[in-house]
Amino acid sequence: MNEKLNLSFWNMRHAWLIGKTSYLETVRMKLFYALLALSLFSLGCSFLLQEFNFGSDELKFIMDFGFGGMTFFGSILAIVTASQLFYGEIEDRTVFTILAKPIRRSEFVVGKFIGAWFCIVSFVLCLTLCLMLSLFVRESILMSQYPEVFSEGRLLNYLDVLGFGFMQCVRLGMLGSIVILFSSYATSSLFSIIIGVVTWILGQLQHLAVNAWGQYDSLFLNTILFIVSIALPNFHLYDFGDKIALGESASISVYLQLVGYGALYCALYLSLAVLSFREREL
Amino acid sequence: MDIAIEVKNLRKDFVLARQSQRLRAVDDLSFQVNTGSVFGLLGPNGSGKSTTIKAILGMLNPDKGECLIEGISSKKRESRARIGYLPEGPYYYKFMEGLEFVSLVGQLGGLTKLESVSRGEELMDLVGLQDACDRRISGYSKGMLQRLGLAQALVNDPSILILDEPTAGVDPVGAVDIANIIGGLKNRGKTILLCSHLLSQVETVCDEVAVLNKGNLVASGKIDELLVAGNEYMEIPECSLEATQRIEAILSEEGQSLVKRRDRKSLEQLFIELTQEEE
Ligand SMILES: Nc1ncnc2c1ncn2[C@@H]1O[C@H](COP(=O)(O)OP(=O)(O)O)[C@@H](O)[C@H]1O
Ligand SMILES: [Mg+2]
Repeated sequence: MNEKLNLSFWNMRHAWLIGKTSYLETVRMKLFYALLALSLFSLGCSFLLQEFNFGSDELKFIMDFGFGGMTFFGSILAIVTASQLFYGEIEDRTVFTILAKPIRRSEFVVGKFIGAWFCIVSFVLCLTLCLMLSLFVRESILMSQYPEVFSEGRLLNYLDVLGFGFMQCVRLGMLGSIVILFSSYATSSLFSIIIGVVTWILGQLQHLAVNAWGQYDSLFLNTILFIVSIALPNFHLYDFGDKIALGESASISVYLQLVGYGALYCALYLSLAVLSFREREL
Repeated sequence: MDIAIEVKNLRKDFVLARQSQRLRAVDDLSFQVNTGSVFGLLGPNGSGKSTTIKAILGMLNPDKGECLIEGISSKKRESRARIGYLPEGPYYYKFMEGLEFVSLVGQLGGLTKLESVSRGEELMDLVGLQDACDRRISGYSKGMLQRLGLAQALVNDPSILILDEPTAGVDPVGAVDIANIIGGLKNRGKTILLCSHLLSQVETVCDEVAVLNKGNLVASGKIDELLVAGNEYMEIPECSLEATQRIEAILSEEGQSLVKRRDRKSLEQLFIELTQEEE
């Protein structure tokens, strides 16, 4: 009776179990730690460059460096994990055991996204906390060296650093869901990874496409610009790190808009992934 | 008698990437598996056994025909609710531990975590992996993977088992173990569809078989009926030389003579005896 009931509704527990297992896979992957080590290493470098004695500019430098590493290495992680979790599972044929259970393909897709996103969140969270710690330590040192600059207390708003980290999770989630979409009909993991990298770059330039659309005579060019403007999110919206570094705070409504924007795109890509994965033969 | 699995006029073509031609992997295949019986799907490599099984599990869309499990179309998710599947391969999550994996499959099939772990422990015991429960699957040998596959297939106590080459890569002793487990499952009323190209192993456990060649059904039926014996032989027990001579004399009157044969062990039997003694 219970079993019947479980079968008729979309089963969150299935997605959750698949997500948990996928997350386990990513954190047992060497790549996760390699990228984490690399990013921490680059953060450490920026921290140790104190001999230049930039003064309070130095905080901005550390912050820029930290944000840059977070998005750069985070994007690599998002692309590789999403592809490995989704396409890798088909390639390694481990998917048969899972899909022979009475599981919806959509539960599988959502589960894979949960796993990839949790991996991204763990990564970004580690980096954000380390960045906040470095900034805090450095600011404290600077405060004792230049009390006149810090007469009104600390300059940095640490909540904004945390907020920036969370926004990167949203952005990398979108990237992950695009890779899942392409993996759902890819026939090689290289393909899904390359497409992931291309989308990442295009998404970074999407705002240029929006501006340029309609300004050329070539129909072909305009069509491409139109497709890029419509199909890809504007990743550039999430690059507000330099503003924070300059001491501007983002407002709650900006954060909410960015989360909503990201959630919409994720939902769009995952729905398309479900449609294409449903038709896929294994 | 109830029908557990029914395959009706199944046809599956694969589009080959290079040549724009199609490969007919299964052609107009029909058979039925009765509830409670052990059915063997036999055939050489590439004859379409795994393709048929994937169609039964709804992982492939047939080009023609359909598959029904207890009357429910394979296209529906519900048809897989009471099935245990051992995929060809075997390939499982390498990053997991054995018991952890069996428990995951159990939970995906509707067990609670606690239930799935205790059931998993039982099954790891049954398949002889009790010492490997908390070892990473990446360190399992091929024979161990097949045993693990059997454990995960059984974890939700399915009424129908679909086993794709359950003894591939398993040593003869292990194969006998697996055959015994299958026999035990049959005695508990399970329906089993297994496919294999290792015929001597199949012969001892199957009630019925279907033989595939290049996607076509070439023979099917009860195994006893298919294997009708050629000549019938009588055995003369150990007796005196005189007695044997008298029998030979009687036979020669009819223009016949005794055919002498000595039983020879199969290498497999020898292997099993030798390795069994050591334990
Ligand atoms: N996904 C696929 N794409 C193309 N050809 C396939 C695919 N799967 C199986 N085949 C072909 O179909 C035939 C039957 O394969 P299969 O069912 O795996 O055989 P068996 O399990 O009996 O060894 C083989 O010739 C195989 O090459
Ligand atoms: Mg096969």
